[in-house]
Amino acid sequence: MAVYKRTYTTYAGPLTPPRTRFLVLPRYCYERLFQSRFLTGFLVACFFFPLGCAGYIYLVNNLSVFTSMGVPAPEFLKIDSSFFRFLMNFQGAMAYILTALIGPSLIAPDLANNALPTYFSRPFSRTEYVIGKVSVLFILLSIITWVPGVLLFILQVSQAGGDWLSNNWFILRAVVLGQVAWILLLSLLSVALSAWVKWKVVAGALILGVFGIGAGLAGIINSILRTDYGAMIDLSRIMYTIWSDQLNIETSTGLEPFEAWLSFIAVCVICLLMLERKIRPKEIVR
Amino acid sequence: MTGFALWQRQILTIVSLEWKKTLFAKRGLWVYALAFLPALLFGINAIRVQNQRDAQMEIQRAAPNAAAVTAAIQTGMSVDDVTRKLVDDKVPFTKFKRRKKFEFVRYSDGTNTWELMFVEGKLTEKRNRDEARLSDSIRAFAGAFQYFFLRLAVFFGCVGIFMNLFRGEMLDQSLHHYLLAPVKREVLMVGKYLAGLVATIAIFCTSAALQFALMLGAHSSREVNEYLAGEGWAHLVSYLGVTALGCVGYGSIFLAAGIIMKNPLIPATGILFWEGMNWFLPTMLKQLSIIYYLQALCPVVAPLSGDIPEPLKLLATTAAPIAAPIAVMGVFAAAGMVLTFASIYVRKLEINYGAD
Amino acid sequence: MATNEEIVFDNVSRFYGEVLGVNRVNLSIPPGITSLVGPNGSGKTTLMNLMTGLVRATRGSISVRGIRPDESEKLFRILGYCTQFDSFPRGYTGFQFVHASLMLQGWDAKVAEAKAWQAIEKVNLVEPAKRKVAAYSKGMRQRIRLAQAIAHQPQVLILDEPLNGLDPLVRSETIALFREQAERGAHVIVSSHVLHEVDMISDQVILLANGYVVAEGAIRGVREEISDRPHQIVIRCDKPSEMASKIFQFDHVVEARIHPDFQGILVKTTNSSQFHKLLNRLVMEGINIETIAPADDGVNSLYEYLIGDEGAQK
Repeated sequence: MAVYKRTYTTYAGPLTPPRTRFLVLPRYCYERLFQSRFLTGFLVACFFFPLGCAGYIYLVNNLSVFTSMGVPAPEFLKIDSSFFRFLMNFQGAMAYILTALIGPSLIAPDLANNALPTYFSRPFSRTEYVIGKVSVLFILLSIITWVPGVLLFILQVSQAGGDWLSNNWFILRAVVLGQVAWILLLSLLSVALSAWVKWKVVAGALILGVFGIGAGLAGIINSILRTDYGAMIDLSRIMYTIWSDQLNIETSTGLEPFEAWLSFIAVCVICLLMLERKIRPKEIVR
Repeated sequence: MTGFALWQRQILTIVSLEWKKTLFAKRGLWVYALAFLPALLFGINAIRVQNQRDAQMEIQRAAPNAAAVTAAIQTGMSVDDVTRKLVDDKVPFTKFKRRKKFEFVRYSDGTNTWELMFVEGKLTEKRNRDEARLSDSIRAFAGAFQYFFLRLAVFFGCVGIFMNLFRGEMLDQSLHHYLLAPVKREVLMVGKYLAGLVATIAIFCTSAALQFALMLGAHSSREVNEYLAGEGWAHLVSYLGVTALGCVGYGSIFLAAGIIMKNPLIPATGILFWEGMNWFLPTMLKQLSIIYYLQALCPVVAPLSGDIPEPLKLLATTAAPIAAPIAVMGVFAAAGMVLTFASIYVRKLEINYGAD
Repeated sequence: MATNEEIVFDNVSRFYGEVLGVNRVNLSIPPGITSLVGPNGSGKTTLMNLMTGLVRATRGSISVRGIRPDESEKLFRILGYCTQFDSFPRGYTGFQFVHASLMLQGWDAKVAEAKAWQAIEKVNLVEPAKRKVAAYSKGMRQRIRLAQAIAHQPQVLILDEPLNGLDPLVRSETIALFREQAERGAHVIVSSHVLHEVDMISDQVILLANGYVVAEGAIRGVREEISDRPHQIVIRCDKPSEMASKIFQFDHVVEARIHPDFQGILVKTTNSSQFHKLLNRLVMEGINIETIAPADDGVNSLYEYLIGDEGAQK
């Protein structure tokens, strides 16, 4: 009979709580992502525009220079829904570029290197894995989209006072809801595409292509079939409609707000189905 | 066997090995989808127009006064007045709202399809949406061809197919099989490029021809015959030629990008942006893009896309038209230069799969 | 002096960014079977990739039978390389894989087909050759790669871990194939971790560690060069205790261990030639010696002596 010397003891220390276990993934992802100087530089550049906006808000609310000269303040110098929609558009575009840079490297390498069985041989579920990966983008994109938006709103309220707040409180809702919806769409889309194709280069192409080709296809559907419903596959137009509706601004995107929301939900559901299909602990032998 | 004869045989071998891989690969299905989506749309449109024509015949029978109703409907009328008139004359219509203040009424008077736009309850605009005019279809085809097919479908199709030839094999870890054969790297590059061309031209030219046929399919044979007897065939040949030239031009760029760059997406994005903003560039810069030459060869001028904001439309510059032979030579020259540049890199290409 | 019959590395270095691949390699490899031996990351594959132009030297020059690695058109007419990359062009059958490479050589389709079948036959894969490579076992994939490498009867055959995944029967057949290639005057360069097989098949070895060549040449010759480790000699004899007492009188004998069956002795000596002379005297003094055999002149021992510690650290 073989006698083995017991040389190990099981780990008895504290464990990460199950509810926050998914945050293990972003922790390591950020460590890797911020090794790239380009990415760090780009992230810093994302704050330039909100900083400029903060200066603009201050300027618009302190137009004593005009009154001191006896000239009425120009009409266009005002902070309203349109200002915040421009901010949302600009930061939304930055979020899109950031997604195209980060998104492809989230899941594709795990699949290409058959790493999923390793993840799922631990007390870590598929849902936690997806939430963990999505949260990498969600946290990062939040920092450059709705967080500066809310801060600028607060700055405007502090400068313009309670009257402005009572007339424009819906802007706060629009900034948060609109940008969270955009982040959700970008995050789900990028992880789903990255899971689908396995190669980060191709996943990056798809993230770019889905928006570009979607818009082009929407255009020819409308042109060939003489309809407006083509816009339902144009993701940027969908979001623009949602944002404009939230900010009470009339637009002519060819979409009704409910149609835009419907398309948004459909895209999210498709992404979730793609993830459900692809995120499985199986090994691909080529 | 040595020299040119050997290279010729090797190129033929590479083409015969590669074109099948490209044309019948499961991973290339999206290229087919991209290429044939416009054909599908033109097909659907042909069926729709046919159904509409049948419906118009039915209206002509059921509501003989429908044409007179159209004449009677004037701007400034209310929604209720208009709908009452249509009901009275037994003209079927659909009514729908867009946002809070817009209302639309759509009906056919047996000859034309009308869309009436009401702003805050008052008729402001009568739009004739007659889908059955061949001239409209030709313009719609020109728009779809230039805005979607060339700029997106052929562009991304070439991204997918040509980048796959080198970078894809790097990712698959199978490129070394070629590099371990007694083939000059430049010969390998030319062979792969030609294989990519065979595949892309086969896919996209077939699609363009099919789109053209289906576009015509929506119209009566009399109209179609008249068009074909006139400039129709020349248009088709031009479109096919432009498609093939697009593959030549974009193919060379993306083959080179796949060889030179570890992440070819960066140049792809840059080129997409450059080609996209071609309209707004000064003439001299326009000449540094592929789309400039392709656009010059298109037989029908497509209207500026409705999606472009009005202020930007003002910025759009129209370059002086260039002669077809110069445009064709321009694309070939650009492709030749890019491939020559790529050949410098392909000579230095190393197998380092781990880095991908 | 390098000739056109040799593979020559002249002060070759290769760096991957800041990581060292191989450094200052000077080699002159004659025809025959040469084994590259070293732990993971020692530079074996880099050396093979350098010879075949899959990677380029950062410094120095390489000549394969007088041809530079960047002259691919000439080089791969005389060279076949069976890499360690276990991937194939998508959708190919075994036959198509071999046939395609012959077509690229410029052969006529019919000649290429005949040569492909010949090579496939040599690796015993005729029956599955029409099936897709994707459905092959690891050993079959290894063999079809080997068939592709030998199909054009190269003068230089480079094989990266060629015995991996092969069952014992196929191993011995494959080793016989290497011998056959070497016997017709070809270079057969093999990298392997299986030291006893290297021992069996190699005419010479190149030992690598951390990107440096630590030894090269015929195995025995290499052993002779290692002076800081005593030679081990196993002697089967009838009086091992008596022998032990007698040999301990000499300074160059540092250890003698009697075999548990009392029919032999393991001796460690710092001077093997003097020890062999001493053995003659012992025979004259009445000790019956049945066999004398060196116990540490195999690749295994060389590996342990020259690389052992570094290899163990990996």
